[in-house]
Amino acid sequence: MLKDFLTESKKKFSDHTELRAQVNTNKRVVMLAGNMVGNTQTEKGGVCARVYRGGTYGFASGAEYTRESVGDVLKAATENAAFMDKNIGRGEPPLPDIENPPAKVELKKPIFEDIPQNILIDYARVLDELVVKKFKNISSRTIVADALCMEKLLAVSNGADSHFFQPRSMVYVWLTADTSDGVPVELFKGFSHVGRFDEYFKEPHMLEQELEELYKSLMEKREGVYANAGIRKCVLHPDLAGMLSHEAVGHTVEADMVLGGSVAAHNLNKQVASELISMTDFAHTAFGKPVPLPIYVDDEGTPAEDAILIENGILKGYMHSRESARHFGVKPQGNARAFEYSDEPLIRMRNTVIHPGKDKLSDLIASVDDGYYLVKTGNGQADSTGEFMFSVDLGYEIKNGKLGRAIRETTISGVAFEMLKTVDMVSDDMSWEISGFCGKKQPMTTGMGGPALRCEMNVGGR
Amino acid sequence: MKDIANYALEALKKAGADKASCRVEKARKDEFNIEANEFTLLGTTFDNGLAMKALVGGRKGVVSINKLDKGSVDEAARNCVELAKAAEPDEAEDIAPLVENKDFVMEEMTNDIDGLFKRSKEYLEQVRDELPKIIIEGFSSALKSSEEAYVNTNGVCFGAKWESYSFNSMFVGKEGESSSSFNYDGANFLKPTTPFMQSGMHRTLLEEAERSTNPRPVDEKFTGKIIVTPACADLLWDTILSNFISDRPLIEGTSRWKDALDTKVASEKLTFRAAPLIKEILTGPRYTNDGFVTRDVDFIKDGVLKSFALSLYGANKTGKPLNPTSSYNMEVLAGDVPLDEIIKSVDNGILLNRFSGGSPGASGDISGVAKNSFLIKNGKISDALQETMISFNILDALKNITAISQERVANGSTLLPWCCVDGITVSGK
Repeated sequence: MLKDFLTESKKKFSDHTELRAQVNTNKRVVMLAGNMVGNTQTEKGGVCARVYRGGTYGFASGAEYTRESVGDVLKAATENAAFMDKNIGRGEPPLPDIENPPAKVELKKPIFEDIPQNILIDYARVLDELVVKKFKNISSRTIVADALCMEKLLAVSNGADSHFFQPRSMVYVWLTADTSDGVPVELFKGFSHVGRFDEYFKEPHMLEQELEELYKSLMEKREGVYANAGIRKCVLHPDLAGMLSHEAVGHTVEADMVLGGSVAAHNLNKQVASELISMTDFAHTAFGKPVPLPIYVDDEGTPAEDAILIENGILKGYMHSRESARHFGVKPQGNARAFEYSDEPLIRMRNTVIHPGKDKLSDLIASVDDGYYLVKTGNGQADSTGEFMFSVDLGYEIKNGKLGRAIRETTISGVAFEMLKTVDMVSDDMSWEISGFCGKKQPMTTGMGGPALRCEMNVGGR
Repeated sequence: MKDIANYALEALKKAGADKASCRVEKARKDEFNIEANEFTLLGTTFDNGLAMKALVGGRKGVVSINKLDKGSVDEAARNCVELAKAAEPDEAEDIAPLVENKDFVMEEMTNDIDGLFKRSKEYLEQVRDELPKIIIEGFSSALKSSEEAYVNTNGVCFGAKWESYSFNSMFVGKEGESSSSFNYDGANFLKPTTPFMQSGMHRTLLEEAERSTNPRPVDEKFTGKIIVTPACADLLWDTILSNFISDRPLIEGTSRWKDALDTKVASEKLTFRAAPLIKEILTGPRYTNDGFVTRDVDFIKDGVLKSFALSLYGANKTGKPLNPTSSYNMEVLAGDVPLDEIIKSVDNGILLNRFSGGSPGASGDISGVAKNSFLIKNGKISDALQETMISFNILDALKNITAISQERVANGSTLLPWCCVDGITVSGK
């Protein structure tokens, strides 16, 4: 647990300043086709300082975390801020204060005694054996057991000081099978939760049911057909709606992207989606429950609040750092986060979701005469134009309201603010997804989610 | 660095390792950031790295930390050996044999932070003055210096000291409320003596972004050609590496080329290699993570698969030959056709600068969106495209290469030409 060498340095602050000590630890075991190819522990920690002067920042970080090193990085960051102010001189005033900041936000440390590596090793080994025993028609498999913990200690010249812990545990499973003509196809499923690895992943057989579903889907995909390329009526499974909320909309409404030319710059307070669509970047609580990756204070010392992005189809706001909030004349809501001690805070999503609606998923499918039910996605990417793409690892034809053949891997795309206007049914359930990382200069843990949607998409294929 | 590395190696042996290796690094990075056409930050990062690998009875443990004091090293060594003891034994695990120890020290290190700032400022001024429709979403320029060492219990001992300059820029073209897709580009240098704007395709990509603020989808679904530019390296070359010739697909047995060594897998026009040592590659590593001296390796020569890109473990596990290299430093040999002639040869196709698509699976099927790309009609580049998807199988595509350009682009890390491929499904809205 990090000692506090930061608070005593606050008396040395001359400008708007953030000091952050941080340590990220990661334990990982990888079983590839039965071989334990990965058995690693990584620990990376240190301290950083960021100083704002005249419209630019000076930043510095060092791997040592001692009283002396805190002074060193603070001095180096101040010198860098002075260099930029002298040579660039944007002449901006100091950042506005956070009004009535809370006293230090000290999160109760979750159960996170150092987890022995053999818990991950045994888990991966037994899960691998289970997969081989149960699923006879696979040609290969990969199992990953992973435990990541982030601890941050923050002291700021104005705002909320904080002490933050976030342990995230994950199991990833890839199954591969060959088609009748020898072409390998694969499916992936990630399981994740916030907390110590063995709190949630107690016994591998507890994943058995979900892995059976994955295997069943793989066997169907093995017989899959190519999708028919073009604009198609689609039902998106809630997992894809989460990706939609993050990639297709979320990135375009990050204020740094807005300033960088995003399509959202010209659409504030305009209809950008069907009235059925509302979307929020939740800080720590959503729909009366804690979110998967709660943030209470960001890495600029801003207390975290929900950022309402789309309300009944109208674009209502962006996500901000303190500096971008000043630019747009709004209150910052705690979206500036950094991944490692050596990273500066960037505007990041936290728990970004499309709100559930009133329809049943079965009715969405039954309402489509000729289209696709798209179930699993692998990766996605958004664009400043709002154009997005997701890979689709698992999907099915819909013919006359009934699910048909599985389809081979494909990609879907659209322009977010056009595609969202085609949404005409929204399911009353939703799912959360926290197993991946968002990539934007630095990686970052993010949560995303949503309900099933009926819409029109451009489907790749043949 | 060697002292720390040898101390760590001794700590691993004391803790019970049969075989072990250590890699130690001390690095400094100075970085300028620009966002939305304004300087935003100067950052200085001091970091350390210690990566330890221990083998105990063929069982492997790997620990990485960024502290180099003796207490931290001792604790990490004990952890590493404990990890190894808990692992599964695997006789394919090993460390590099001693062949020849070397130090790789850069002859001239200028530590020219002022030069880096000057180039960065010059770049921003050029964008503002000469490319008024361009918004730099995010730019970073960096000077990184590093001192490192690698040692193992077979007696291998390498040292290295180097510095490099780099820039990366992400940008859009913007005209009123219309904008192009974002694009990105960057390069590495040994000294900050060349304007960033002159590197590789950079100015071309910026000018193309300015011309792409009103893109349109293709009108029809058709099968045609794509010209893959050097800026779109990930589509073909990274896919070959990750899906067919690297550790994972070969160990799993899912690579479609697992038994294809010395057989024809691509057009005879294609020679694809890793070339960390050629003069155009400025920052290629001189030794691998496994502790072997790197060399240039042909993966595909005249269309024939000549080598895999395996680690020591991967080679031992699969029984296939080990050719230590840095596959990140890709080179595709120049063809015999000028780029202009290639464009003229395309009746219906796309000049592809960036591809946004799903990670292709083991089958090699690829589909995704053509980004920052232009329609080619009757041998001429025409409209900028949006909402245009392309689909193909890469194994088929490599056999359908119709031309490779005489011209190539070097960015300090790779050296690549334009490559024309037939048989691509293109569809619009």
